[in-house]
Amino acid sequence: MATEAAPMDEKAKRMRDLLSSFYTPDPSISTPTSSISTSFDNINGPSFDADQYMDLMIKKSNLDVLLQRHVQMAAEIKNLDTDLQMLVYENYNKFISATDTIKRMKSNIFGMEGNMDQLLHKIMSVQSRSDGVNTSLFEKREHIEKLHRTRNLLRKVQQFIYDLPARLQKCIKSEAYGDAVRFYTGAMPILKVYGDTSFKDCRRASEEAIETIIKNLQTKLFSDSESIQARAEAAVLLKQLDVPVDSLKDKLLEKLEQSLDGLQINPDEASKLAEHNVSSKDEESNNQGPAKIHEDAVRGFSEAMRAYREIFPDSEERLFKLARALTTTHFENMELYIRKRVSAADFLGIFRIIWEDVVLMDEVLPEAALSDLSAEAAQVTLKQFVARTFSHLQQDISDTLLKFDINQKEVVDGEVLKVVLEASGKAEFRQLLDENTGIFVKMNDLLIGWIQKGFQDFFRSLESHFLVLSGKTSSSNETEGLVEGKSSEKIHAGLILVLAQLSVVIEQKVIPRIAEEITASFSGGNSQAFIPGELCRVFHAASEKLLQHYIDTRTQKISNVLRKRFKTPNWVKHKEPREVHMYVDMLLQQLEEVGKEVKQILPQGTFRKHKRSDSNGSNTTTSSRSTTLHSDKMARSNSQRARSQLFETHLAKLFKQKVEIFTKVEFTQESVVTTTVKLCLKSLQEYVRLQTFNRSGFQQIQLDIQFLKAPLKETVEDEAAIDFLLDEVIVAASERCLDVTPLEPPILDKLIQAKLAKSKEHNNNNNKTTVSS
Amino acid sequence: MQGGSSGIGYGLKYQARCISDVKADTDYTSFLTGTLSLKEENEVHLLRLSSGGSELICEGLFSHPNEIWDLASCPFDQRIFSTVFSTGESYGAAIWQIPELYGQLNSPQLERVASLDAHVGKINCVLWWPSGRCDKLISMDEQNIFLWSLDCSNKSAEVLSKDSAGMLHSLSGGAWDPHDVNAVAATGESSVQFWDLRTMKKVNSIERAHVRGVDYNPKREHILITAEDESGIHVWDLRKAKAPVQELPGHTHWTWAVKCNPEYDGLILSAGTDSAVNLWYASASSTNNKAPESPVESTRERVNLLLNSYTDYEDSVYGLAWSSREPWVFASLSYDGRVVIESVKPFLPRL
Repeated sequence: MATEAAPMDEKAKRMRDLLSSFYTPDPSISTPTSSISTSFDNINGPSFDADQYMDLMIKKSNLDVLLQRHVQMAAEIKNLDTDLQMLVYENYNKFISATDTIKRMKSNIFGMEGNMDQLLHKIMSVQSRSDGVNTSLFEKREHIEKLHRTRNLLRKVQQFIYDLPARLQKCIKSEAYGDAVRFYTGAMPILKVYGDTSFKDCRRASEEAIETIIKNLQTKLFSDSESIQARAEAAVLLKQLDVPVDSLKDKLLEKLEQSLDGLQINPDEASKLAEHNVSSKDEESNNQGPAKIHEDAVRGFSEAMRAYREIFPDSEERLFKLARALTTTHFENMELYIRKRVSAADFLGIFRIIWEDVVLMDEVLPEAALSDLSAEAAQVTLKQFVARTFSHLQQDISDTLLKFDINQKEVVDGEVLKVVLEASGKAEFRQLLDENTGIFVKMNDLLIGWIQKGFQDFFRSLESHFLVLSGKTSSSNETEGLVEGKSSEKIHAGLILVLAQLSVVIEQKVIPRIAEEITASFSGGNSQAFIPGELCRVFHAASEKLLQHYIDTRTQKISNVLRKRFKTPNWVKHKEPREVHMYVDMLLQQLEEVGKEVKQILPQGTFRKHKRSDSNGSNTTTSSRSTTLHSDKMARSNSQRARSQLFETHLAKLFKQKVEIFTKVEFTQESVVTTTVKLCLKSLQEYVRLQTFNRSGFQQIQLDIQFLKAPLKETVEDEAAIDFLLDEVIVAASERCLDVTPLEPPILDKLIQAKLAKSKEHNNNNNKTTVSS
Repeated sequence: MQGGSSGIGYGLKYQARCISDVKADTDYTSFLTGTLSLKEENEVHLLRLSSGGSELICEGLFSHPNEIWDLASCPFDQRIFSTVFSTGESYGAAIWQIPELYGQLNSPQLERVASLDAHVGKINCVLWWPSGRCDKLISMDEQNIFLWSLDCSNKSAEVLSKDSAGMLHSLSGGAWDPHDVNAVAATGESSVQFWDLRTMKKVNSIERAHVRGVDYNPKREHILITAEDESGIHVWDLRKAKAPVQELPGHTHWTWAVKCNPEYDGLILSAGTDSAVNLWYASASSTNNKAPESPVESTRERVNLLLNSYTDYEDSVYGLAWSSREPWVFASLSYDGRVVIESVKPFLPRL
C-alpha cells in the first residue's frame, strides 16, 4: 500500500507541475530536474518521443505490464481532464468577478476630477490665511519674548545690585580689588541712572565701599614696599575708577626719575665698577660686586619702565626721555671718567656695562631708538677716548723726557721706553678692536679710521712737541713765544740730542712697526689716514733739524766763550805770551762735554772707525806737509812777508784741495763731534778776523792754536779739515797782525809742554781731591 | 756752484768787507767797495755794471788812507760816501767826496768832506738818511750813537744829539727805518735796540743775542729782519716784538748780513761765513698767518723759502748790496776781495 500511496502522491505532484507549466510561459524553469532523470520514460518531459517510448515499452514489457500501464494511463488522463475542467472553471469565475470590479471602479472614478480641483483651491486659501495670521502675530510675539528676557535680566541685575555693597565689602576684606572694581564699574551705569530711585541705599553703600577701595589702592600705588607689578595694577584699577591718573603718573615718573640718580655710574666709582666687572669675570663666585648690583638696579629700572609703559601708554614719550637721559648721563659720566687716565680694559668694562644697560632698556622701549642714540654717544666717547689715549701717550713721553732733563747724568734709555709706550698703545687699541660688543662691531670701520688718524695726528703733534721741547719752534709760535722762550734758555743741550735720536728711532723703527701693526690689525677702514711715508719724512726732517739745533746750541755756547775771549783784551796792546790761554781749556771742556753726550746717545759710526784709522796714516803726511808749508811761510815772513802773504795763502789754497768744511751731519758720534769742532774753529777764525793784533797777540793765537791741534785731532775723524781750519785761523791772525813774527818752535814747544804738565797736575789734584773727599 | 756761471766777477787787490750800492746814480748800476788791508795802501773802487749787464767795469779807483770797515754811499749824491776806517789801533769815520772829472785825473784823490770825530771807541757804521735829500747822518760806535748834521758846502759836520747805549751793550751795527725817519735800530750784544731820534732815547728792544745784521723791509712797515750767528734769520713785526714772525734757517755757519730787496716785498738776501749767499722768499702771506699750520707744511714751506744758494765763493761773504736801480741785481763781496754781481731773475717764483 505504501508503494501505492507513493505513486499517488507522485501522480498528484506531476499533475500540479503540469498545470503550473501550463501557466508558466517558460517551461525551462520547471523542467530540468525531471528531464535529466527521465529522458525517455518521462512523459511530461518536453523531449518525450511517444513512438520511441512505445517501442521501448513494447520491447521491455510484457502484456500485463502493458495493460496495467494502459489502465494507469487512461486513469491518469481522465484525472487530468477533470482537473483541467476545474481549473478553467475557477479561472472563469475569477475573471468574471474582476470584470465586475473594473466596471465598478470605472463608475466610481468618474466625477472625482472636479472634487480634486475644489480640494486644491481650498487648501491654497487655507495656507494664505495661516500665513497672514502668522505675520500679524510675529512682532508681538518677538516683543513678548524680548520683554521676557529683559525681565529675567533685570531680575538678575536687581539681585546683583542689591548684593553689590555686600560683595564689595567682601572684596575689600579679601583685598580682591580687581574684582571689586570690575563689579563696581559694571554697576556704575545703573547706579548713575537709577541711583535716585530704589537703589539709593545700595548706591550709597557701594560708593562708600569704592571710596575705601580707592584709598587703599592709592596707598598701595605709592607705597614703595609693594612690588611694581602690584602698583601698576593698582594704577590700572584707579584709572578704571576714573580717578585722575595723570597726576599719579607724574608723581610716579618723578620717582622713577629720582631713581635714575642711583643708576648713574659715578666717575669715581667707575674704576671700581670696572675692576669688579673684570674680576667677576675671572672668578664667578664674586658676584656681589657693584657691577652686579648695578645690573640689578638697571634691570629693575627697565622692569619699571616696562610696567609703566603698559600702565600709561601715553607716557611713552616721557619714558623715552628718561631712558635717553639715562643713556646720555651714562656717556657723560663716561666722558668724565676717561678724562682721567684709564686703561683700555677699564674703559671697555664700563663700556660693556653701559651697553648692557642700553640693551636692557632697548628691549623695553625699542621705539626710543636708544641704540642709535647710544651709538652716536658711544662714537663720540670712543673718539674722545682714542684722542685721550694718544694725548696720554704723548704726555708720558714728554714726562719721561723732562725727567731726563732733570737728572741728565743718568741717561734714561728713552728709546726703550718709547717702544714700550708704543706697544702698550697698540695693545690698548687692539683690545678696543677685539671687543665684540654690538656697538663696536658697527663702529669697527670708524674706529680703525680714528686710530689711523690718531696715529697720524699723534706723530705729527709729537714732532711739533719735540720741536717745542727743544726750544726750536718756540720762537716762531707767537702765543707760546714768551713762556717757551724763557724755558728754552734752560733746555739742556743733551735733551735736544736725545730728541734728535728719538726722531731717528721713530722714523726708522717705530713708524714702520706701527704701519705693520696697522696693516695687521687695523686695516679695512675705508680711509687710509695713516700715511707712514709722510710721517717718516716729517720725522726725518725733524731729526735733522733737531740735530742741527743741538749743534747750534753747542756751538753757540762755545761761541760765547770765544766771544768773551776776543772782545775783552786789547789785542793791539797784547803782552808777550807766557802760557796757553785759559779759554783753550774751556773750549776743550765744552767739546769734551759734547763728546760725552754724543757717546751716550748717538750710535757709533762703525764703518767710520776704519776710515779713521786709514786717514790716520795718510793724515800724518798732510799734516806734516801743512806744517812744513807753514814753517816755510813763517821763516820767510820776516822779510817780504806782507805783500806776498796774501798771494801765498791763495796759492796754498789752490794747491791744497778745497776742504769741504760744511758737510752734511750724520747721526753718528764722530760726525756730530766733527761738525761741532769745525763750526767752532770757523767761529774762531771769524773772531780773529775781526780783531787787529800786535806781534804778541799773534804769538798768543799761534800758541793757543798749536796747543789745540793735538787734542782736537784726537777727537775728530776728519783731520784734514781740522788742520786746514787751524791753519786758517793762524792765517787770519797773521793777516790781521801789524807785525807778524811767529814764535820760535822751541819756545812754542816749551810753552805747550808747560801747559800740558800743568793740566796733568791739575787733573791729578782733582783726582786727589775727589779721592780724599 | 749753481750761481757760478751767471755771476760777473771782479777782483779787488786785497781783502774786503764792505760794498754799497750807489743809490744816487740813476744812469748806471754802480757799487762802491773798499778794501781792508792792515798794511797796504787801501783803495776804494767805484764799479759800474756795463749797459749790457755782462761786464763789471772799474769806473774809478781811489786810494784811501786806512783799511775800510764800513762804507755807505750817500743816497742823494753819487759822489759822496762815508767810510769807517781803522789804523789798527784807532778808529775813525769820515765823509768823502769823489772829485769831479775823476776820470781825467791820473791819481784822483778823495776829498774829505767831514770827519765824524766825536767817537772814542770802535766805530761800527755810518747810516745815511734813508731816502731823499737830507743832511742827517748817524754814526755808531760800541757804546754811543750820534746824530750828525752834515754841511757839504762848508765841509763840516756837527753832532746834533747823542745817546749812550751803556757799557754792556756793545753795539755792532744798525739800520735806519725807511718808513719812520725817527727810528733807528742798532744791534747789540744781547738785543736789538731802537732809538727815537727826536728824543734820542731808547724806546724799544728785541731780546736777541748775537745779531750780526739788521735790515728794515722797505716795502712794509714794521717789518725788520735780523741775521744771527747761530740761529739764522728772523723776521720780526715790531708791533709784536716778543717773538719773530718767521724764521729762516740761515747759513751753515754764521749769517753775517741780510738785505731786503728794495722793490720786491719778501725777497731777502743773506750772506754767511759758510761762503754762500742765500736768496730767500718770505712772502707776505706766510709772515702773517702761517704760524698755526701743521709742522709738515711749515717744513715744506721752509724748504721752498730758499730760492737759491750761491755758493761759488772762496771765503766768507761779508758784503752784500741790492742794486736800487735794477732791483733784481745784487753785489756780493767775499773776504778774499772778490766782487760778484748776480741776477736773481732766474730764481724768482712769480714776478
